[in-house]
Amino acid sequence: MDGLLVTEMEIFNKRSDVSYYEIGVFDKDFQPIPFVSSFTVYEVNYLKKVKFEVYIRRKDEPQVTYICSRSRVLEQKVSNTSVTSTICSKIKRK
Amino acid sequence: MKKILAFLAISMTAGYALADAPITGNVQSRCVVTTDTPGVYGNPNAYTLTTSPSDGGVLPIVRFDVTLADAYYAQITTPTEFTSSPSLSDTVTWTGSTEVSAVSDATNMGDYETNKTTFGATTQYDLTATGSTWFKSSSAAAYGGNKAFPGGQYSATVEAKCIAQ
Repeated sequence: MDGLLVTEMEIFNKRSDVSYYEIGVFDKDFQPIPFVSSFTVYEVNYLKKVKFEVYIRRKDEPQVTYICSRSRVLEQKVSNTSVTSTICSKIKRK
Repeated sequence: MKKILAFLAISMTAGYALADAPITGNVQSRCVVTTDTPGVYGNPNAYTLTTSPSDGGVLPIVRFDVTLADAYYAQITTPTEFTSSPSLSDTVTWTGSTEVSAVSDATNMGDYETNKTTFGATTQYDLTATGSTWFKSSSAAAYGGNKAFPGGQYSATVEAKCIAQ
């Protein structure tokens, strides 16, 4: 696909209280960068892995710095306080 | 010229490549964030919600497991708004802080607390050693003018980030 770059990502869920993770692509200042994936929120059951692909535009490549997953909690499961966890992978250019 | 990019992965494994020349560069998970204690707001008076144990609350505790030293920052942000609440007509004043609760390696993690940096509601730690670190956060919300919070369900969220350096 001309004009597109792709990466394959894998999320491993070690939180028994979370089943959904939202993904995002960001620059060095954590400003969002457009991307395409099958979903923006993936269901990942406890101790399970999910693989997916992330596509970005070639013109955005110099700015892409982080790809992050952020836990999401269903609204009806929100408790008194909850913890949102975000894991960001950083691109290392060779 | 093709650029080959590789991820320094954390809880995700990754390979990055041009779409027409895929390169698989899987790497192992290096940072895992788990919730140790979700936390509970106590209600010591009509206009305050607090996680302070002395006021009937429970401090939220988050655990970071790192298997690669000097590679990650832990950023923990205490709430600055409710994720759900009844309709509020006045301002809410938020206070919060985060500190190290426990470490798996006292020798190499002993300076985490003194070396932390705080900006706004966020506290950042440089995870310089491998192992587990538990961070506890306190959070309090005071309703404007010492007015009573309306009755209902209140929820807020602590955000824990593990960011590759």
